[in-house]
Amino acid sequence: MSYLDSPRLHFNGWFQADVSTINNDVTAFDTGPSAGPPDPGWNPEGTGIFRLVDCAVTGGFLDGRPLSAGDDPAIGMTIENADERPPGKLVDLDPQQQMVSMIFGMQVRLVSSSLQTILRGEFKPAPFINLWQRQITGLRTDQKLGAMYQSVLERVTWSEEPESPLVRALREASQSRKLSIEFAVYGYGRDPKIPRYTMGRVAGTIGPSRSGEPDHFVMGRQMIAPGPLFGTPPGRVGTLQAKVAKDGRSITVDFGNSFQVETADSGLVDIGKVLFGVLTTNPDTVQKSVAESGIAIIGEVPYRNANWYTQTAGIETFDLSGNAAAAKYLLDCPLVVVSPSAAAASGYDVRLQESISGLYVRADQFVFRIDPGETQTVDFCATRFGAPLAGAGIALSNGGPFLAQLGGTPPDLSVPPSGVNVPPASGPPVVITTDSHGHAAFSLKANADGPTLNGDAWPRGYLAGQLYALGYQLEKQPVTYVSSTGNFVSILAYSRRHNPNNVPPTWYDDIQPLFAQYGKLYPIMSKYVVDLSDYASVVTRLSALSLAFSLPQSDPNHMPVTRDLGLADRQMILQWLATKGADGLPPLGTPRPAPAVATTQAETRATGVDLDPMQQAGKTAVILKYERLSGKGAK
Amino acid sequence: MIKIDPRFVAAVRSAKSAPDLWVHLQNAIELEHSTIPPYITAMFSLKPGTNQSISNLIRSIVIQEMQHMAIACNILIAIGGQPKINEQGFIPEYPGPLPMNIGDLRVGIEAFSIPLVKTVFMAIEEPEHPIPVTTALVAEEEQFATIGEFYDAVKDQITKLGPAIFVNKTAPPQVLASDYFRPDVLFAITGPDDANRAIDIIKIQGEGTSADPFDNPGEPAHFYRFGEIAAGKTLKKTETGYSYDDPPIPFDSSGVFPLRPNCKIADYPDGSQAKIRIAQFAYSYSNMLNALHSVFNGSSDKLDAAIGLMYDLQTLAASLMMTPDPTKSGFNVGPSFEYVQLQGGM
Repeated sequence: MSYLDSPRLHFNGWFQADVSTINNDVTAFDTGPSAGPPDPGWNPEGTGIFRLVDCAVTGGFLDGRPLSAGDDPAIGMTIENADERPPGKLVDLDPQQQMVSMIFGMQVRLVSSSLQTILRGEFKPAPFINLWQRQITGLRTDQKLGAMYQSVLERVTWSEEPESPLVRALREASQSRKLSIEFAVYGYGRDPKIPRYTMGRVAGTIGPSRSGEPDHFVMGRQMIAPGPLFGTPPGRVGTLQAKVAKDGRSITVDFGNSFQVETADSGLVDIGKVLFGVLTTNPDTVQKSVAESGIAIIGEVPYRNANWYTQTAGIETFDLSGNAAAAKYLLDCPLVVVSPSAAAASGYDVRLQESISGLYVRADQFVFRIDPGETQTVDFCATRFGAPLAGAGIALSNGGPFLAQLGGTPPDLSVPPSGVNVPPASGPPVVITTDSHGHAAFSLKANADGPTLNGDAWPRGYLAGQLYALGYQLEKQPVTYVSSTGNFVSILAYSRRHNPNNVPPTWYDDIQPLFAQYGKLYPIMSKYVVDLSDYASVVTRLSALSLAFSLPQSDPNHMPVTRDLGLADRQMILQWLATKGADGLPPLGTPRPAPAVATTQAETRATGVDLDPMQQAGKTAVILKYERLSGKGAK
Repeated sequence: MIKIDPRFVAAVRSAKSAPDLWVHLQNAIELEHSTIPPYITAMFSLKPGTNQSISNLIRSIVIQEMQHMAIACNILIAIGGQPKINEQGFIPEYPGPLPMNIGDLRVGIEAFSIPLVKTVFMAIEEPEHPIPVTTALVAEEEQFATIGEFYDAVKDQITKLGPAIFVNKTAPPQVLASDYFRPDVLFAITGPDDANRAIDIIKIQGEGTSADPFDNPGEPAHFYRFGEIAAGKTLKKTETGYSYDDPPIPFDSSGVFPLRPNCKIADYPDGSQAKIRIAQFAYSYSNMLNALHSVFNGSSDKLDAAIGLMYDLQTLAASLMMTPDPTKSGFNVGPSFEYVQLQGGM
């Protein structure tokens, strides 16, 4: 079960993503003597906080019918974050992979009008997905991309006797103290002169979850929009997922991230009448149009109704009980989103179509941070028309060259050195096979020494760690298949310990090189709380630093906030913080002689694109560079 | 000087049992806490890279106020009470009198200034009989009790009621936070002697003794530390007494965020950066009180979260204090210490 099942509640409001933009520019990591000042980006003193603001439950679904204000006490309650600890943090994987920004440490609560916490759960860290050009116009500095997050709330606790039938039903439907949560984010403002600065809109849904199901996508029907990565698809309806109810009597579709908005404040763009249906055949290509006889219409998408999006978060359930034709074709024909034909008197233009032959494969979690010597599991799941696909081969490949196109500024990523067991770029793919439940697992292993290049543990020069990409597709993927090119597994392999021989660390030799970087990258902390580049400042906050460096990555106060420092280096820092020299303070050591020239592979940043000064780095720059390198314009 | 309504002292002295004392220790917790918002606002308003000595002095005082609050909590816990920190009313209304106060001392939330230190902070910390250094405020003829008398009454009454009222003698449920506080300052309260010793720490760190303005060698009591800031010099013992002397404690008036005094969330229109950020600060401060409430009510594992929130507040204060105030040109937004439980502003 998932947020596409019943019961579910919908919420709407705002989010704040007060990201720090300094680390959008790779060269900001260079603390060598030849380093220039970093590009500050549009929000250099961001706190990294991600939180929900003014979010309220606006609708729900229970016992086969939608709920709105007055139908249930839950409608009108607020969706809040933690009340006894800091809010979550939004973190890029790496300055060279900014397109999978992940929320860490966010608690989500449902709070009644009397300020009682009705349910509380921990958002399992997850990156966004299905990033696309959702907003058409607006301010020059607006982030016009929209995206969605899907994850689970874990360790859910409930108030003892919730008054709301919807909440009680949700509790009964959920297992393992888990709930499924999804939300679309859009309309994000980057102009410090507007109220929306660091703020955007959110429309989301919370529903039941069952163990054994994926956490970050729905085992359902997948409709993948063709067109340029991060762009606007020709049908103007973005990638979505849907799920047929277990009893076959209804289908629920998530349009939450699928309709464009004109501006951040405009509501959905009217693209005319939009219908949902199923083709009566199973073609091996994406259809541009379909005749009346070629489709069983399921229903009209009521996206033009006032308040529809606010109340439903774009999730629509269509009744199939009186539609025998659709129910029959659903089993082995693709779903479509259509509009009445613009050119012909009858028939439909196809805006969006289910994946060819209903085939789909997804890595559930697709962003990994891995320490030297560590093994983690990448869980894949293959489906055909929403049902598990057993015995299917999944071909795993090296996605490095593709990731390099997204990599922003140098150093070059296209041929990463050895570090993790992704298949070599030149060799044949590695094939794994799904079990009877459609699942297959890949053991992702990092070298004991971490990534190395010619013996150097920091292959990217001043930038620790190394990025890898694991591409995947069904081994027998139809040649006409439309895939979501953004779907690959992104991996940050941490470097081995800065000081590998367990020599007792000193400030000058081991700590300052790391701390100086983080001081530069998180100025709101280094300027206002503790100057990490300054020994005298650091030693005034030993206990707090020991706490922050010992917290797990899932904790909102984990340091570094960028979460790009491996366990070994964090342990070295903790060892140093706990060491007391003769003066009772951690050892200073002796200053290093200044290096003659910084050893680095980085080149001067050169975008060659006319950007607003505030967009020189970050996602906008990534997309412009990708378009340039790939020759694929987003428009 | 903080002037306590004498009825509070009388009520302490008439306490017949531990539960009769609970409300007074809760008042002490609220009083010790109530100095923290004005002090940290002044501290946060000092721009980075400037006024470092002043910032360090205020920080050292704030940390001791936190200790004092923790001591009062531990004594309350020790005699069977439960600190209440997570509710509306725990934070006093600023500007206004501090808890239990009478008289005309009104404490607000303002950016750092020398007059603020002289007229408000030194007045809060002023001993009944300050040791003459460079200034001596004239005592007014009024019927009031001092904070010292209040705490003396608590000590006397605890001694009178005896060891039997100490029912929770260990941490937990008491809180020692040994990573952050010295064990000779924050220790488990096991009986009247510990309670008296702990209260003396509060008194001496705040006011010094009648003979010595230093609570520790090199560390003047709060009144005299604020005196150092006001004088711009360091307190020294001389042959005849005490004086503010070199090294200087310089103040750079350009190194202060220009905060509009006593900002409130309701002052700002919905959908303004000012409102979003002031509401965010208040929500985080309230979260910190929620976490501390849990820490002092059996969930000592929440201490890390409370510490995390304290550090978060510094970054949130910085964001806030760089935000221009739309209601008053030339000023930025200052923090508000309102107890809020919802995140809003748009």
